[in-house]
Amino acid sequence: MINTEGMVAETAAKIYTDLCGRAVPHEAAAGTYPQALWDALSENGLPLAWVSEDNGGFGADYDEVFGAIWVSAEAASPVPFAETLVANWLLDRAGIAIPEGASTFALLEGKTASVPFASTADHVAVYDAGKSEIALYKSADVPAGDMQALSPDGDVRLDFSGATPVSRAATNLSRRAVEALILTVRAVQMASAIEAALNMSIAYVSDREQFGRPLSKFQAIQHQLAVAASESAAATMAATQAASALARNADDPEKAWHEAVVAKVQIGHSVEAVTVPFHQVHGAMGYTQEYDLHHFTRRLWAWRDALGNEHHWSKTLGAELAVTSPDQIWKGVTTGAWIAS
Amino acid sequence: MQRFNFPVVQPDPALEELRSELQAFLKEEREAGNFQPEPECWMASSDPEFSKKMGKRGWIGLTWSSQYGGHDKTALERYIVTEETLRAGAPVGAHWIADRQHAPMLIEHGTEEQKLDILPRIAAGECYFAIGLSEPGAGSDLANVKTKAEKVDSGWKINGQKIWSSGAHISHYMVAILRTSPADGRNRHVGLSQIMIDLSLPGVTIKPITDLSGDAHFNEVYFEDVIVPDDCLLGEEGGGWKQVTGELAMERSGPERFLSSYITLETSLYQLQGKLDSDSHARLGKLIASLRTLRGMSWGIANLLHQGVSPETEAALVKDLGNRLENDLTLQVRALLNDLPEEEWSNEMRRILNIGILRSPPNTLRGGTTEVMRGITARQLGLR
Repeated sequence: MINTEGMVAETAAKIYTDLCGRAVPHEAAAGTYPQALWDALSENGLPLAWVSEDNGGFGADYDEVFGAIWVSAEAASPVPFAETLVANWLLDRAGIAIPEGASTFALLEGKTASVPFASTADHVAVYDAGKSEIALYKSADVPAGDMQALSPDGDVRLDFSGATPVSRAATNLSRRAVEALILTVRAVQMASAIEAALNMSIAYVSDREQFGRPLSKFQAIQHQLAVAASESAAATMAATQAASALARNADDPEKAWHEAVVAKVQIGHSVEAVTVPFHQVHGAMGYTQEYDLHHFTRRLWAWRDALGNEHHWSKTLGAELAVTSPDQIWKGVTTGAWIAS
Repeated sequence: MQRFNFPVVQPDPALEELRSELQAFLKEEREAGNFQPEPECWMASSDPEFSKKMGKRGWIGLTWSSQYGGHDKTALERYIVTEETLRAGAPVGAHWIADRQHAPMLIEHGTEEQKLDILPRIAAGECYFAIGLSEPGAGSDLANVKTKAEKVDSGWKINGQKIWSSGAHISHYMVAILRTSPADGRNRHVGLSQIMIDLSLPGVTIKPITDLSGDAHFNEVYFEDVIVPDDCLLGEEGGGWKQVTGELAMERSGPERFLSSYITLETSLYQLQGKLDSDSHARLGKLIASLRTLRGMSWGIANLLHQGVSPETEAALVKDLGNRLENDLTLQVRALLNDLPEEEWSNEMRRILNIGILRSPPNTLRGGTTEVMRGITARQLGLR
């Protein structure tokens, strides 16, 4: 369970409750950006939570901030809160001054990268493993490719080849360290969205009647949602485990890589196992733009593909395990220690 | 609003030391040829000699007081012991149920005399228990039990039949749920009680049932005018239903719900090191990610139980997920093994894999069928 009781998470929860009601994600998708929501997050310094105090942030613990990310995903955040947290984390690690406003991030290999919230964020923080550098671009300077995103704020392809960064700095941050953070952030968002959509589905089938009784009274419906609940619980566990690994390895995030990958694999596979029954029990209503379910399911489809889908990460993890001793694998399964110490 | 409670609990160095001791012992026993590893060992592989060795080492009865032959440790130590023996596929079936289920029941409901008499023998790996729940007419519909216990001067007189009682043929006692008074109209949950029966008493007949593979580890148990003393009633007269459902909820999230076939995977990994192609990498990665996640859930629940919290929904979810994973594991191993020419499979590999396939059907049946589990979950979600 991601702890949502810390100061950071509680502040975020209050802001999202006040300023991100049911209508807000709809309005944002229709083109009205919820500036008031972003301003409130920003005025409270939340996007700087992971930035060191030297760089103007408040150096909050991983745990506390993951609680806030959980809360934001539960509200189908139409502003790049988690993405700005990641961008600022990268910039801070490279000693780059944090820009005003909302940011997003990219992992660059070559010329282009898929980037979430590309049209709403003011800046893009780019980690380039090949060059061992972190660079900050203005979004306006990076042309976007023509691409249909899975969700309003889902990944689109940006072409960095002709763009000049506002600033850049060498980094010794490993690719795995960056992946550990990003995958864990995605895992927490996904687990939260799954739980929110589960609760929405439970409420819907309890209310909607067919054949003279609520859908919830049909065993076929009960069992579909029971299975979805087990996937939701597993997703929450995997996300919590990854978040905890990062918190324990704050000095060396690379050590949290395996638990982060496990989470992305587990939850990535869960997405199909939950979005199918969620839509099934909602019938045609869940397929409409008017209803809220797609705020979660479209984001889940986007997130499971972001930074490599579940097959990519299964393969990556499996390739490493295939040359790991069975004793070490058992140690990983039982204690989370995936590498010989 | 549904929120699931699975705390992340870090490994404890003292527990990891216990794990190492277990691993050394199990390796030694296996190498000495004292057992052949098997999947589903906690149900289908029994060896009283092996249980006695475990008892001597202090690995049975970890959770109860030394006053009763126990070892004053916690359910967390027991968890480590159980997961290591499952991983090794060791023959722990003889003592498993008594250690897991009936000793705690006796501690809660037994007389001082019973505790002093029976618990030390369980801890020594010498005294075994069988579960007496199912009857021919009472499977998933457990409240339909017909076996009766009638109050007589010298105690309770029992007549009827239990079925699917694993290990009854080597067990000393059965704890059975019996009808001690009639149902109250349509409410069949009243009038049921739990009674401990000495299986050596006159009137008890045990007939083995051979499973589809030819093994005989479960039984029919018949009772004909069997008289047990008054103090064999465990807990409250008429309170059996509540006791049984509570007890079932506790045992649904243990490592036997998802690690029973791990031996199949591990054996294949020794054969497949460096031989897997990229499709197999994806299978392996997915499988291990699921195992890690379930282990986290199961361990989280063990820690909650240890603190006196009883997360019933979470436990039911672990059983459903775990049972599905176990059956999937065997399928995935079959797929992985395609990367090795069949003539290179060791005999050991083939033996373990085949036993695993043959023992897979009851995974999703015992301890509550998948359908019953999903019904429980649905109720907890507020759908029933």
